[in-house]
Amino acid sequence: MPVPDLFRDGLDNRGWKTRDASRLDQDLHLAADIAIIGSGAGGATSAELLSAAGFKVLLIEEGPLKTSSDFHMLEDQAYASLYQEGIGRMSKDGAITILQGRAVGGTTLINWTSSFRTPEPTLEHWAREHGVKGLGSAELAPWFARLEQRLGIEPWIMPPNANNEALRRGCEALGYNWKVIPRNVRGCWNLGYCGMGCPVNAKQSMLVTSIPATLEHGGELLYLARAERLEHNGEQISGLHCVAMDSRCVEPTGRQIKVKARHYILAGGGINSPGLLLRSDAPDPHERLGKRTFLHLVNFSAGLFKDQVNPFYGAPQSIYSDHFQWRDGVSGPMGYKLEVPPLHPALASTLLGSFGKENALRMEQLPHTHVMLALLRDGFHPDSAGGEVQLRSDGAPVLDYQVSPYAWDGVRRAFQSMAEIQFAAGADSVMPVHSDARHVKNLTEARQMIDGLNLELFRTRLGSAHVMGGCAMGEDPRQAVCDSLGRHHQLGNLSIHDGSLFPTSIGANPQLSVYGLSALLSDALATRLVAGR
Amino acid sequence: MTTSLPVHPALSRRGLLKFSLGASALLATAGLGASLSGCSVQTPASGFICLRANDLLILQALIPVVLAGTQAADKRDALLLRLDNKLTALSPAMLKLTHQLFDVLAMAVTRGPLTGIWGSWDSASSAQIEAFLQRWQDSSLNLLRMGHASLLQLLHMAWYELPDAWAHCGYPGPPKV
Repeated sequence: MPVPDLFRDGLDNRGWKTRDASRLDQDLHLAADIAIIGSGAGGATSAELLSAAGFKVLLIEEGPLKTSSDFHMLEDQAYASLYQEGIGRMSKDGAITILQGRAVGGTTLINWTSSFRTPEPTLEHWAREHGVKGLGSAELAPWFARLEQRLGIEPWIMPPNANNEALRRGCEALGYNWKVIPRNVRGCWNLGYCGMGCPVNAKQSMLVTSIPATLEHGGELLYLARAERLEHNGEQISGLHCVAMDSRCVEPTGRQIKVKARHYILAGGGINSPGLLLRSDAPDPHERLGKRTFLHLVNFSAGLFKDQVNPFYGAPQSIYSDHFQWRDGVSGPMGYKLEVPPLHPALASTLLGSFGKENALRMEQLPHTHVMLALLRDGFHPDSAGGEVQLRSDGAPVLDYQVSPYAWDGVRRAFQSMAEIQFAAGADSVMPVHSDARHVKNLTEARQMIDGLNLELFRTRLGSAHVMGGCAMGEDPRQAVCDSLGRHHQLGNLSIHDGSLFPTSIGANPQLSVYGLSALLSDALATRLVAGR
Repeated sequence: MTTSLPVHPALSRRGLLKFSLGASALLATAGLGASLSGCSVQTPASGFICLRANDLLILQALIPVVLAGTQAADKRDALLLRLDNKLTALSPAMLKLTHQLFDVLAMAVTRGPLTGIWGSWDSASSAQIEAFLQRWQDSSLNLLRMGHASLLQLLHMAWYELPDAWAHCGYPGPPKV
């Protein structure tokens, strides 16, 4: 029985208002109460709440509209159509691959469903060090509870796949803390293709939740439209200038869309949100814009097991360990969360490294390969100041990100922890993912090798799927771009509702942090707008 | 072009430094030089959207080395089309960088000093190509390390996105839904 494509059905039968900007044959003028730039976790959550509150919402997305019948679990199609820059996005020096979504639904379309509340130590640190007010655990808890219910977020009930099970087994053997990951799914088929768009609409991404709800409330969706520039006088925004993109979302078609709204919400995520403000010459008297942009820097360790792991099948992330996350304090040596990634052939081939016969051999062993990853918690220590979003000569944003000695120390310790857990789980051999590393048969050899690795860019395979900060929130305009309600410190009718608000990284996969915070901020915004303030 | 070249970079620190500075200058001018001198044809090869005739020559030489141990060389045409398709999805900025990388590899004036391959790509031996890849991986120059990473990533991903590659890596393909 074919899986119903709920979004297509809504388009065909429910009178939803959507526009494909790539097909415009003339320029367009649109008006709304609230224009929201970005349809990912922050934008779509805000759109649902504000449209339900009676505001006329226009949701603007740069990427294409792809729905479940377009999702064929094929890497080539998914990477080309659903990821920023055709999965070619990287840090400015090319050393860190950055995975972000770019389609209606944003990164929620392609994330691996891990859903954590913002850790309490992170919120406390923001209040203490970054002047964030009114966003403690207690204030956020009802919002997290509401979003968990809305998005079906619960600890995964099925047994973990073998890739995740190895993480559990290794931690258990060593007495390290591990837990089951809460996932935003309903009726999940346990396929393993969350990163390529859920073909069965089980993942409760924005595409099947908040965006349909917004359209049901009479909201409008404009896609394949890049927000190019906000027009402003230094105090108020008077309009938004968008350019229509071609159907591949690579080149502008030449058509333009002018948007007028009473209020503007920026929700393009880390990199794109500060990028738009930089292009718009937004006031930035204290030079905070784009600064302190954080990654959860990720390094990897590969293990070979006698039994098949088949790391390409089954819910991609279901077990995590925070054993090394907070034990040295919030601002001690860099903490890290341990998880596993799914391994489909193309991503695995570039991750596992080397070339020629050596890479071919590593790929031949893919079914027996286990990979673990460490999400390094950036931004909590003075030596961990993140990177800076800049503009390329064509106006496209790019993240200049240097890896500090403090972060490299975290990378090395994470390599050690991962090798230890993989051996404890029964790995025959382990190889830290680094160009000078090789598979070794026991922990002593692994420790020695890791201690001697020349940790530098490119030799160490680094990636990140979590970009945070760059439009930091905080009460002090000298430190922050927005206040704790997401209101831009200088532009009166602009709010930011996305991960770029975070004053540090989260220390956990950030989607639920973005949902919860955006919901709280949107609720407060609705109240303010109704009161006419 | 009449750029003077550091022809034989010695393995001394000073030699390496000199080489790096020379290489930076070469890289910085490669794109401009290519377009001014007409060394690099900007039009795509017949049947391709992004890849140009010179790019194809380079890739045809790289495929048997970078993807040695796989069936890629036998499926070269499908692989090149796949790779071309990947490039069409890149942002203009990333596509430009990729074209510049291929320009550096294509033009004799940059290819020789930067890769050690002084003759044409189709006459380069596997050993020469391996040495070039190793040299770029170990380079002190970030741009060359980035070039190395990009070449490998493009070829690896393009190959393993093809269903032809899956039997070798024990991947049965996506399940039926």
